[in-house]
Amino acid sequence: MSLNYDEHNKYHRFARMVLITIVSLAVFVCLWWVVSKLANNAAIPEPMETFEALFSLIVNGDAVTGLSLSTYVWSSLNKFLRGFALALVVALPLGLILGNFKLVREFTSPWIEVLRPIAPIAWAPIFILLFGYVQGATFVVFVGIFFPMLTNIIFGVSKIDRVLVDASKTLGASNLQIFTKVLIPSTVPYLMNGIKVGLGIGWMCIVAAELYATPLGGIGFYVANMITYGAFPQAYAGIIVIAVLGLLTTGLAEYISKRVSRRMGMDVRCLRARSR
Amino acid sequence: MSKSKIKIEGQKWGSERVRADRTDELYKDIPEGGTLMTIDGLRVVYVTDDSETVAVDSFSLDVKKGELISIVGPSGCGKTTILRCIAGLLQPTEGTVKIGDKACTSPGSDRGMVFQDFALFPWRTVKQNVKFGMEIAGVPKDEQEERAMRYIKAVGLEKFADSRIHELSGGMKQRVGIARALVMHPAVILMDEPFGALDAQTRNIMQEQLDKIIVHSDRTIIFVTHSVDEALYLSDRVVILTKRPSTIYKVIDVPWPRPRDRANPEFTKLRKQILEYLELQNVMED
Repeated sequence: MSLNYDEHNKYHRFARMVLITIVSLAVFVCLWWVVSKLANNAAIPEPMETFEALFSLIVNGDAVTGLSLSTYVWSSLNKFLRGFALALVVALPLGLILGNFKLVREFTSPWIEVLRPIAPIAWAPIFILLFGYVQGATFVVFVGIFFPMLTNIIFGVSKIDRVLVDASKTLGASNLQIFTKVLIPSTVPYLMNGIKVGLGIGWMCIVAAELYATPLGGIGFYVANMITYGAFPQAYAGIIVIAVLGLLTTGLAEYISKRVSRRMGMDVRCLRARSR
Repeated sequence: MSKSKIKIEGQKWGSERVRADRTDELYKDIPEGGTLMTIDGLRVVYVTDDSETVAVDSFSLDVKKGELISIVGPSGCGKTTILRCIAGLLQPTEGTVKIGDKACTSPGSDRGMVFQDFALFPWRTVKQNVKFGMEIAGVPKDEQEERAMRYIKAVGLEKFADSRIHELSGGMKQRVGIARALVMHPAVILMDEPFGALDAQTRNIMQEQLDKIIVHSDRTIIFVTHSVDEALYLSDRVVILTKRPSTIYKVIDVPWPRPRDRANPEFTKLRKQILEYLELQNVMED
């Protein structure tokens, strides 16, 4: 049998990718199995045990608390979406203002540079103290998403095509009109990029916050709870759920941002270089 | 400002107020061939930390209504700088630019501009690009639609009215740029090497199309180019610049009727002469 792989054929490329992914995952599971055998430690369960626990989690829910998987996922997602919405509402106008007004940007830049490197999870105890358990987690997510979103928007404003500004001036546009009709649309692809990066970080933040402070509930709580009970296969099953949900959110964001950029006639490839 | 109210061009002209989207009407009393724009003693100095460069020096020119005047010069001279001063995008160190009696100190819709790299809004369709200036001026929606389509047809893009910019070829993009400037009926149209980014064949086609538009209108155009051939094919007058600091070396009248024949011996003779002038500029510098 001869397999003629055609690089220019969309289906061939797709089939190749699927094949590589399957083999890669299979090898990963094998390695996992080998490591679990060699370690011979309860903290590293065998793949099969974990998959059984995952299946049971999906079908029967959590045996300890009696809560279903969807309850856990929704609890995490709920906090996640609130934090995300809050970050968007604050970062968008702020980014446009900071990007546009040099003095404001220069004045606030020390604040941002001091606050930005702090790991969002480090805020968790303070936020929980200030806002309570549920809202506290929302704010942890907010911090995680806010900074990448803000810096991407500021970057987008700085990357505005000066020629487009000139063109709109010669068509009679006022500064306010340039802001609404040129600056905002041309920043959208960068905003989308910020959202994409923010979603990934935000998802990490919510799970970390739940692991840290179990009364937060959610899928992170489930994992932490299972570890306290020593039910490691169940804990690992929870970790797999977290990973899959994280992949789905970033995948969705990637898809939307690609569509938006293409629709707006802006190339995403040149933007991706600075996504982190 | 409410949507229905049409933006009025800032200054009063006599007792009359004219819409920002039809600034050519401000100057309807100036006869064809009368002086429309006066550029007086333009001087541009670029200052950097440790040096000063004089890009343009004592550039004065009267632009007549309805003429196409092109500016040619050695590459790297201040052709574009001069055009940007006229557009109001750059403040000259000295000198004034006036249309009629009105001093032009900031950009405005009375000086439409066509850019070398098109400067089209990628998130807008062809039609939406052409409508941009009218939206700014607050022209009613149905009039916007009618005028935009008229000019899109004039540049032969009616099939692409709803296309996005990245779907168009370079020549088509610049036709959108030209339609976007024309639709605003500016008093003067500034063109900054509009065909510079196009291949030779497209460039010739675009020159012919622009020529047709000029013949059928009383548009006043200032055209910057580095192609002597293009300048001779299109213009009523050709302004030859010196090397930096740019000033006028010579102004040549091109009296021939349109459309012009590039193979005409007179045409080639004059082209050779201008090229020699330009060559002389380079020699003088060295």
